[in-house]
Parts: sequence; C-alpha cells; structure tokens
Amino acid sequence: MKKKGFDFYIQGAVQLGIAFGVVSILARWITGNTILSSPQTLIRYGLIGGIGYAFMGGLALVLFGFVARKISYTFTGQMTIGDVLKQKLNPFGYWYMMILLFVMGFYALFIQTMGAGLLLYILFPFPLFIGMTVFLLLLFLIGGIGGLYRIHQLAGISVILIFGTIILIPVYLYMHEGVTTIFEGIRLYHPYLLFTKNNESLWFISTGLLVFFGQMITDRATWQRVFIIKKEKVKMAFVLTGMIWLTIPIAITSLFLLAISGRSFDNPYSLIFELISILNSTVLIFIFVLFCFAAVMSAASSELQSLNSLFIRNVVAEFKPLSTKQQFKYKNSFSIVLIGVLFLAALFLTPYPTQLLFFFGNIYSSMIFAILYIVFNKDNETLPPVLSSFVGIVGGFISSPFTTYFESVWISFLLSGILCGLFLIKKSIQQHSPASLNSEEQPYDAN
Amino acid sequence: MLTIEAFSFYIMMCVLAPLIGAFTLLFLFVFEKRIDLIEKEKNEIVLESELQKALYNQLNQEIQPHFFFNTMNSILSLARLERKEELIYSIETFSKLLKHKYKTNTTFITIEDELSYVVSYLDIQKIRFRERLDYQIDSEPVVQKAITLPFLIQTLVENAFKHSFEKKAGKAELHIVISKQESMLCILVANSLPNEEQQSSADAGTGLANISKRLNLLFPDDETSVDITHSEDWTTVQVLFPLVYQLDLKE
Repeated sequence: MKKKGFDFYIQGAVQLGIAFGVVSILARWITGNTILSSPQTLIRYGLIGGIGYAFMGGLALVLFGFVARKISYTFTGQMTIGDVLKQKLNPFGYWYMMILLFVMGFYALFIQTMGAGLLLYILFPFPLFIGMTVFLLLLFLIGGIGGLYRIHQLAGISVILIFGTIILIPVYLYMHEGVTTIFEGIRLYHPYLLFTKNNESLWFISTGLLVFFGQMITDRATWQRVFIIKKEKVKMAFVLTGMIWLTIPIAITSLFLLAISGRSFDNPYSLIFELISILNSTVLIFIFVLFCFAAVMSAASSELQSLNSLFIRNVVAEFKPLSTKQQFKYKNSFSIVLIGVLFLAALFLTPYPTQLLFFFGNIYSSMIFAILYIVFNKDNETLPPVLSSFVGIVGGFISSPFTTYFESVWISFLLSGILCGLFLIKKSIQQHSPASLNSEEQPYDAN
Repeated sequence: MLTIEAFSFYIMMCVLAPLIGAFTLLFLFVFEKRIDLIEKEKNEIVLESELQKALYNQLNQEIQPHFFFNTMNSILSLARLERKEELIYSIETFSKLLKHKYKTNTTFITIEDELSYVVSYLDIQKIRFRERLDYQIDSEPVVQKAITLPFLIQTLVENAFKHSFEKKAGKAELHIVISKQESMLCILVANSLPNEEQQSSADAGTGLANISKRLNLLFPDDETSVDITHSEDWTTVQVLFPLVYQLDLKE
C-alpha cells in the first residue's frame, strides 16, 4: 500500500492481530460518553445500573464479533461499510443507507465533541471557546490529516493512559478513604443507590443493549476495523474487546461512588467536578484530565477519519473519478466544514449525556435487522433491509409520544424484525415451491 | 439493600476489573505471536504429512507403468517417424512434469503454477490420445495468484483419465474452470464419458477425501467443499475454498 495513497489514509499500514485489534477497537469505544453516562446511569439506576451499563456495552461488542467474522469473510477486499452496501444494494437502497450513515456519523461526532466541550468546561478555568479550538485543531490533525495510521499510533498511548488512570486512582482513593467510610457516606446521602431490586434498571439494560448493538453494527469506524483485522482473528478480537471494555465503566462508576459519598450534588455533570475535588493531588488531577481527553480524542478522531473515508470513497467517487491529490483535497475540505459546524454546535448547545446516548435509539435499533439481512443474506436484495429499517424508524418516532422512550426503541426494533422475518418466510416459500425446484441450476454441462 | 460486605465485594470487583482487563491485554501482546507460531507450526506439520500422503498417492496413481510406457512409446513413435520438433517438445514436457512432481514439497502453490503443471500433464496425454482428446482451461486473471493445494487440480484431471477416458472409447473432452465466487475460489473439472461409478467410489474417492482433508487443514476456520456430480454425459467435480492470495499469506 502506497504511503501517499488515499487507501493508506483509510486503512493504515498493516493487517492487525488480536492485540492491536483490541487496542484499536477499545480506542474507538472508550468515549466521552462512557465517562459522562456512567455517573448519570449510576444516579438513575443505582449500582445495578452501573454494572448493567458496563455489561450491555461489553455484550454488544461480543455479539458484534460474530457478525464481524461473517463480514470479514464475505466481503474480502472491501474497506468501508459503504463498499459493502454498494455491493449488496441497488442505487436507491445504497443512497438511503448512506444518508442514514452520514446522519448517524455526524451525530456520533457531535456527541464526542459535546463530551469534550463539557469536560473542558468542567475541568478548565479558561473559556470554552479556547478549549474547543484546541480540541478541534487536534482532531483535525489526527483524524482529518493523519488517517488511520496516526490514529493507531495514538490508540496505544490512549489505552495505556486509560488503564493507568482507572487502575491507579480507585486503588489510591479507596485505600486512602476506606470502603466502610464510603459505604456509610452513601447510605446516609444516597441510600437509593444500594437497592438491588430495581426493575427499571433491567429495562434500561435490555434497551441499552439494543442501542449499543445498533450503534456498533452501523458504526463506520468499527466496520473499517473489521476489514483491517486479520480474518481469522476478527471474532476473537471483538469478543476480547467486549470483555476488556466492560471493566472500564465499572471502574469509572466506582470513582463516582467516591465522589458522591458523604455529600450531595447539583446535577450528574457536577460529579466530575466533585471527583476532581477529592483528587487532592495535582498529579492525579492531571492524569484524570488526560484520561478524559484521550478517551474523547481517540473516539472522535476515529469517527472523523471514517466519515472522511466514507465521503470520498463512497459519495464523491460515485459521481466522478478522483486523482489521489483531489481525494486529499476534497477530504480536507470536508473535514474543515465538519469541524466548523461542530465548533458552532458545541458553543451553542448543551445536551445531557443519557439523552446523547439514546437520542437516535430508534434509528439504531431499526438498523440492526437491516444490516444483519445485508450481511447474512446471500442474494442482493434492496427492499427488505430498506423497508424494514424505514418502517422501524417511522414506527418508533410515531409511537414515541404515546410510549416511554425505551418502549419506542423496542417498537422500532420489533417492527423492522417482523418485516425482515416476513421477507425471509416469503423467500423460503418461493425457494421450496415446485416451480422454483424445477428451474434450479443444472449440473455443469460443457456443451 | 446492599450490606457492607456486599458493597466491599462490589468495590473489590470495580478495582480489580480494570487490572484484569489490562493483564488480558498485556497477555495478548506478549503471547499472541507465540500462540500463532505454535498453531502455524502444528498446522504445517500436519499439512506436510498430508502432502506426503498425497504425493505418495500421486506417484502410485500416475507414475504407474502403463502411463510411463505408453508415454515412452508415444515418444518413441515420434522419434521413429522423425518428427523432431514434436519429439523435442514431448521430452521437454515430460521432463517438466517429472521435475515438478519430485520438487513440489510446499503446502500450497499458486493456481498459475498448478495449471502449468496440469498443462504439461495434458500435453503428454495429448501425445497419447491425439485427436481424441480436447481440453479447455478457463481461468479468470483475478485468481491466477490465488493459492491452492499442490496436485489438487492434477488429482481431479488424473481421475478423469483414469476412471473415464482410459476406460471408454469416444471423444474425450475435459473442461477446467477456475473462477472467483464472492470470497471463494471455485475449481470445476468436468469430463465427458462419465466415470465408471464403481471405480470412482473407490480410487477417486480416496483422492477426493485427501483433497477435502487437506483443505480443512489449510482453512480450519472456513467453509470448504468437494462435490462430485454425475449426469448422463458428464462427470463434474467442484471444489470450493476461500480465495486467499499468496501475498496475503506472506504478510
């Protein structure tokens, strides 16, 4: 692969083994949202919610491992999710899916930027404007200019930093404070956290699993990683990532327990501020800030890079063939526009973490069966995946005023599933009909 | 409500969890290559032993006296008739065939190389069968550098001669088609004058079983298949296995 070619920007240098594959996926999936949603989940659903959040993310990655194996073996030589859609769908289905992917991609990038903005706002005394400028500039350099090769170089550092922080800080603080003191503090101020009978949390976990899985199965950056990990190792890489990933929100939750022990708080965001206040050492504060920044930066740069790849390879290239120089030129322009929009959005909007996580839950859950149909169905059929996802999305949004948020996610999921199921039944009946059996391909005849 | 003991256990789990995660990752970095190497070595040993068996079968099957003497007689006839050009070509081809047979000891070769060997073999058979034999090889350019098992196509071609063309009179037509089917490589060998069923179930069956076994060893995690179908006029063998290029394996 030429180092100056656009393929190098998309795929980096080499095929990854399990270890580097795990690091690359971890860097993508340990995000600002993981840090920001953990305290909110903890406060709303108690300790069970905290553990459940970790398990639903981990399990979604493990489940995706089985799909990833099929993707890797079936679509050899492809680079992006767009390539696969191009191969399997007609132009209408392709553009429908691409529009959804771009909406979700931009939204995912927006979440990371908002997360970064929020962290910068909470952690640093200087105006958000300055922090965001620095963050977006780095994002442009790593994800926009550097490409996957540079992202991989930084992924290793990011993962070391993340593990170093979540191992070091809880051990230090719990040794310092003592578990009994923390327990007493929580029992006094937040006893609701300690109740284990919490049906709502199970509802949250099962719906969260759908949303996480839907996010993964449509995630542009994750698909790119599927294609660069060695085929025979791709499933194991995702399974191990799932198991390793779940340890991170669990550890973060324990940190927030420390932060709220023996005191009240104004809102879930302020928990990070509370946490900083109990880290009575400049070194620990510095490490924690770096940890947050690394998590957000690695996820955001992966997203920017994958959106750039998708835009050049699967959108612009559909209209006109580009030289390598033009590919880079268009890519840089696209990055700059994206970053400009993100900058404005981060300055004027303040979303809430759990809203961020579940905002597109309907779309994510509707896409699960559609993508599974595309991956596992041998024929090239556009109607079933497109129709099922569309009906799922519309059904979910129509039902949302009359149902809870979780119920509408399940409605989207079930509607698209039922439609895909009906298409499969119809197909199976057609295949086993006498007319179809008679017209089956005859054995090879050279005459 | 959680007791202090349960809470302590929960905290212990929270503190230990990232440690376990980090150690797992570290373990992967340290031992992944070693585990790969052991697995590769193990597979190679089994593959080599299977290859030896395949070679032995090949030698028994092909360098049998009647093939050898028939070929020598054909070459002798060319010499007696003073058809010098054809004679030189025949000796050259025969020599290539023998050389390839004795020198091939790798676990896989490219389609291109395997086909050159098959062509040598078919050229020799052409001297013997003359106008009776017609063969055609259709191979897509995209599969030329893909890997295959040594003697895979050769075994199928030899089966056609052994169980069909040498047993029955009439026009002998052989078609070899090698194509890419999504992520799979499809090798199809079809011969006219259908194989004699009894023979094919015994000797040809051994050859096909050996191919199937070696494919499973080379692609332990993938789908592979070896299917034989008989119609009134043709016998067709279709082999399917993942399309892998030699360059990919080197990486």
